[in-house]
Amino acid sequence: MSSAPERLETPPRLITQGQVVEYADASGDHNPLHLDEEFARGSPYGRPIVHGMLALAMLSEMMTASFGIAWLSGGRLKARFRAPVFPGDAIRASGTLKRIEGGAAVYEAVVANQDGASVITGEAEVPLSG
Amino acid sequence: MDLSDLEPGQTLMERRVAVTAERAAAYAKAAGDGCALYAEEGVVPPMAVAALALAEAMTAMRLPAGAVHTGQEFAFPRPVAAGSQASVSASVSANSVRRGTRFLALDLRVEVGGETALEGKTSLAIPEGAE
Repeated sequence: MSSAPERLETPPRLITQGQVVEYADASGDHNPLHLDEEFARGSPYGRPIVHGMLALAMLSEMMTASFGIAWLSGGRLKARFRAPVFPGDAIRASGTLKRIEGGAAVYEAVVANQDGASVITGEAEVPLSG
Repeated sequence: MDLSDLEPGQTLMERRVAVTAERAAAYAKAAGDGCALYAEEGVVPPMAVAALALAEAMTAMRLPAGAVHTGQEFAFPRPVAAGSQASVSASVSANSVRRGTRFLALDLRVEVGGETALEGKTSLAIPEGAE
């Protein structure tokens, strides 16, 4: 893709505890903060939280869907985890074009929950061909 | 591993890892990433490679329960083909304690065929005394 849309957005996606368990197995991250209700109850969050990397993956998926191979062969992602995502939350990823610089499009990237609260913020940069 | 012993610049781990199609498919299913492009191009989702590198680093550190990621940076210079053998390495870029929490930053690198496929930096917050 040689042009950069002003706005990118995914539909909301419900994250279930079952998906968290599946992600733990697939990623190898079995931190009890995500999987053990009793352990998580004693944490600052009070209940299990979703892997940050699982929520972040939605941004990369959005960029792949929008830019295809350009994202896979030159994409850059920088993110801060602002707030926890809990199983049962419905999250969506979005990107707003900030600038085009050095042949790359730079998006302000956000993952937000069902209340509109930003749980991840950052930047996604993708090279533009042509 | 005693996290307080980790010094900036220290290599945490270097390992060869198989990026199998099965592993990539399991990751994509779990992450809900159904982009057809991966299968069309014969490559794995870049975040699957990132997750693999992180898992190797976390395993090497025996990260205590209660640790959370506070930030991630990734660059994907080239896609990784399903079935590749990857060299995964992690090194310490920062290690400090503030107000009872250890802040650890790691540099991650994945190479395939001698070429960099992923570079990353992960930032972790670990409550002191967590096991």
